[in-house]
Amino acid sequence: MGGIATKKLSSLQNILTRKYPGVECSEFGDSIRLEGTLDDWETIVRCGKFAAKGGFRAVINDVKLKDFTAPPMRTPAVKDSALHGLTPDVLVIGGGVIGCSIARELSRWQLKVLLVDKEDDVAMHASSRNDGMIHPGIASHPGTLRGEYNVRGNAMYTQICKDLSVPFERWGNLILYREHRFGAAARFLFAYREKALGVPGKHLNRRQLEAVEPNITKEAVGAFEFPSSGILSPYKLTVALAENAVENGVQISLNTVVTGMDTEHGAITAVHTNRGTVRPRAVVNAAGCFCDSVADMAGDRFFSIHPRKGECCILDKDAGPLSQRSMGLIGLAAAFSASKGGGIMRTIDGNVLVGPDAYEQPLREDFSTHKDHMDMVMDKHLPLINGFNRGQVVAYFAGVRAPTYEEEFIIEGSARVQNLVHAAGIQSPGLASAPAIAEEIAKLTLGRLGGKILPNERFNPVRNASPVMSKLSLSQKQELITKNPEYGVVVCRCEGISKGEIRAAARSPLPATGLDAVKRRVRPGMGRCQGGFCSPLVAEILQEEGVETITKKGAGSELFVGNLGQEVRSDD
Amino acid sequence: MEIICIVCPNGCRLEVSGEGENLQITGNLCPKGVDFAKAELTAPMRSLTTTVATVFPAFPRLPVKTRGEIPKGKMLELMTKIRTIVVDNPKKVGDIILPDVFGTEIVATAELAI
Amino acid sequence: MTDKQIDFTQSVSADGAVKLNSFTAEKSYDILVLGGGPAGLAAAVSAHESGAAVLLIERERKLGGILKQCVHDGFGLLRFKERLTGPEYAQREIERFIATEIPYVLESFVVDISHNADGNYTVCTQSAAGMKSYSCKAIILACGCRERTSRQVFIHGQRPAGIFSAGTAQYFVNIQGTMPTKRCVILGSGDIGLIMARRLTLEGASVAGVYEIKDMPAGLSRNISQCLNDFGVPLHLSTTVTEVFGTERVEAVAVEKVDERMNPIPGTREVIECDALILSVGLLPEIELANVLKIPIDPATKGPLVDQSLMTQAAGVFACGNVLHVNDLADWVSVSGETAGHGAAAYCRTPRAFSQSAVRLEYSKGDFLYALPQYLDPAASEPLTLFFRSRADVKGKTITLSLGGEKAAFSKKYRRLIPSEMEAVPVKALSFGDRAQYSIEMR
Repeated sequence: MGGIATKKLSSLQNILTRKYPGVECSEFGDSIRLEGTLDDWETIVRCGKFAAKGGFRAVINDVKLKDFTAPPMRTPAVKDSALHGLTPDVLVIGGGVIGCSIARELSRWQLKVLLVDKEDDVAMHASSRNDGMIHPGIASHPGTLRGEYNVRGNAMYTQICKDLSVPFERWGNLILYREHRFGAAARFLFAYREKALGVPGKHLNRRQLEAVEPNITKEAVGAFEFPSSGILSPYKLTVALAENAVENGVQISLNTVVTGMDTEHGAITAVHTNRGTVRPRAVVNAAGCFCDSVADMAGDRFFSIHPRKGECCILDKDAGPLSQRSMGLIGLAAAFSASKGGGIMRTIDGNVLVGPDAYEQPLREDFSTHKDHMDMVMDKHLPLINGFNRGQVVAYFAGVRAPTYEEEFIIEGSARVQNLVHAAGIQSPGLASAPAIAEEIAKLTLGRLGGKILPNERFNPVRNASPVMSKLSLSQKQELITKNPEYGVVVCRCEGISKGEIRAAARSPLPATGLDAVKRRVRPGMGRCQGGFCSPLVAEILQEEGVETITKKGAGSELFVGNLGQEVRSDD
Repeated sequence: MEIICIVCPNGCRLEVSGEGENLQITGNLCPKGVDFAKAELTAPMRSLTTTVATVFPAFPRLPVKTRGEIPKGKMLELMTKIRTIVVDNPKKVGDIILPDVFGTEIVATAELAI
Repeated sequence: MTDKQIDFTQSVSADGAVKLNSFTAEKSYDILVLGGGPAGLAAAVSAHESGAAVLLIERERKLGGILKQCVHDGFGLLRFKERLTGPEYAQREIERFIATEIPYVLESFVVDISHNADGNYTVCTQSAAGMKSYSCKAIILACGCRERTSRQVFIHGQRPAGIFSAGTAQYFVNIQGTMPTKRCVILGSGDIGLIMARRLTLEGASVAGVYEIKDMPAGLSRNISQCLNDFGVPLHLSTTVTEVFGTERVEAVAVEKVDERMNPIPGTREVIECDALILSVGLLPEIELANVLKIPIDPATKGPLVDQSLMTQAAGVFACGNVLHVNDLADWVSVSGETAGHGAAAYCRTPRAFSQSAVRLEYSKGDFLYALPQYLDPAASEPLTLFFRSRADVKGKTITLSLGGEKAAFSKKYRRLIPSEMEAVPVKALSFGDRAQYSIEMR
């Protein structure tokens, strides 16, 4: 064993020395650790990816970027003892779609579950910053966790969305190609994957493609169609999962960051947060881009995350009807690459999402957008559909994926820490895989807790969702307004959202306390005016609901610097 | 030198040359432009528009203005005075909110109906 | 509340629930005016005075439109020969409107408009009183305009709190009494931005500068003078904001000079510390309701195409004020409201389709940003008021309007024409020769 590992190590070191001078590798448990300094980030990532092929469990990439110090993780300003002394059965770290799915899944059992997230709301990182596509599973190789969980998760969404009242449509997706050569080659690949993964699909020639997508330009000569592909709003889903988890007894503590852990005899005994020390029986690591740091805190360092950023833009609803399915144009290389290269998709709310792109960079929570990336995204995808143009752009955003160097999910109980379970390295198709991942993580967690755990007989998978005016018939609207006239008062004129809906968001099981949180739940500010008309009105409603300081997204993002008449002149 | 007349939206660009009795003003579409330019050169005047606080949560600010004009340099000083006002009863357009300020008064420009 | 405001609360029962059995079909009207700002108020009054039965529908809590928050003065010089503030101007229009006893509803949002087989329209509204439908012969769109957003001008960087459009900042300050900034940068030299530069300065904030990507200001000269120069706020032309910094709240912005094609010039980047970026980058007609009816839009004005009575290409649907095109003065908004009101009333007496023989206005896009009405219906009796904006800052040009190949219906030499200042040309008598022709020229 030692001999083989040593040989693997020295052969890897030999190649590293040649290709990446200055990088040293060493064994770290079953993993391989890289150290040194390189001049640019892409090389560091390439080096890590290369090492991932070295036959070790995983890569810990500690190679430093020259003249760069990673900024510390952003942490909430609040410091109190709200959680101090709590002894939950399970502590879930991270309130993204993965953490919230897990918390809800755990609420099926008689367990005290506490979910913490450092942000002001759930779904603040990748879960609100992706394209909302429930991939069919065709993009992954059979035999990978990414492929397996994707296919399983995809199938679960119809029921979950029904239970949670989250709008979901299987509009299908198209993988377009511009060369017949590609079509011929890819047919075999997709036929194999369809069979191996159990994903239905079919090939469309140009004429068939035009019949289903009449506005498609001459860019594509044919396509592969996967009808099980779906679309939903990833943040609405995450909020709904969180709300249903709370309804079933889960405690969610926002603005809560894990700052350290105590371990004894290979088990976590205490988790320190900015809101006190918690003593959970088991811990689930669903910390997204920071899941490697969480593993490290628990003494289970064995992988690294390399943040892969993507930028998207959203087109006005006018553009929505021009395409029916999600679609992307790919070349042969992309069919085998880690990321799917983005595309265009009609969003569940009727807009069109364009993108995302994918690029490696060292920052884990930098959500800035850039002209060159946005130009590239638009130049690449807008020409696919006749009638799309830049003038239709109403919004754009960026997100950061959390891949490991193995480009694979880590869904397992910790090898070193008895009461720790990882849902780590979750990148695309993480959203599509979330329900299946949650099921598996819950199973693993129950196993680590041990003993007899009874089902929660009061578990109700159906969320008590607030009404959505735009989805109601005329008579239903009338009935609702009769019961509560505030549903008649339109606050957001672009999206037709009523005062009643906004108030409901502020009173939900996971109350929205900032403008962005309201926006994620009920959409005011997502329309053409981007909040110009409605944000003052939403602020008024939040104030009526007892929110003292109006923020965009929690402490630090206050909307106002004071009231008129207070001395506000700055020093200069 | 050029002065932009702010009397009306025409925004005439007044060309001012000479001094004292030789003062020449051109570019004005109406006689008000001449008066404006002369005032600008000697004692520029402005009207001030702002709002005052009220005690009514549904109508927290009442728009007001100076009925006449005040010296241009006194605007910030007047703002300090206006900041101390809190209106606690209904008002009609033109009601005096603050009398005797720099030779004029502050009046309501909107109806405050409760 | 006034006598004539339809009081829906009458149907509230003792337990507080509004008693309405189902979707209520309301009384039918000749004309529904959609919007209670200066355009809608003037349109309603003039339609009423022309004998039509009118209902005005307003989505906000109060009449007056955007004028409610425009506490500055400069309104009404044309219409009232006085320098009024926005609320005063609104108050006069509201008082005139109330005196006519035209019925109106507040906080009522139009959710749908349909054109019926009999030629009438059905307008469906949503309010605290429930869903209601009104039928009418004609509709006057008077729904104003909205601001372009930071996304529409492709500002990049982070997305912290502290990026506001000027109109939103104006609402915060003038209506709510909250301060959105201590030190800001204003992007765009539109009038609202200039007005807000002064307003925020008066309230104690500092305005680091107004940055305009074009080589000339977008707002009125008098506002540059009295809002910026009076307070020492610098105006930087051919300069734009290219990046926003700050994760939670704006911490700084980067500005760069641009070349004649508006591309940033390398090496001119400067980072300015501030806690807010306020945008005054243009206004767009709010044509959502016109889109419901699939009414053709002029790409130049971004509002509906209309004839001289301001009827759109949907028979019986009229447009006025800022939904038609973004006006520089409220006074012109009121004037167009009156035109639409008269036109709609005449339509109710004698319904007509958009004339097949209507003549399209011809103008050079190189000389004019836009001009309207875009069509002239020789059969329609209404006098014509032509509005135009010059594309460039030009001096000593003569504008000539010709109709039917006859001698100039209007000709005037302008000392100066600039894009930010709209010009209006009233033409009393329309006389066409034997040729269907309608054009303006700049020489």
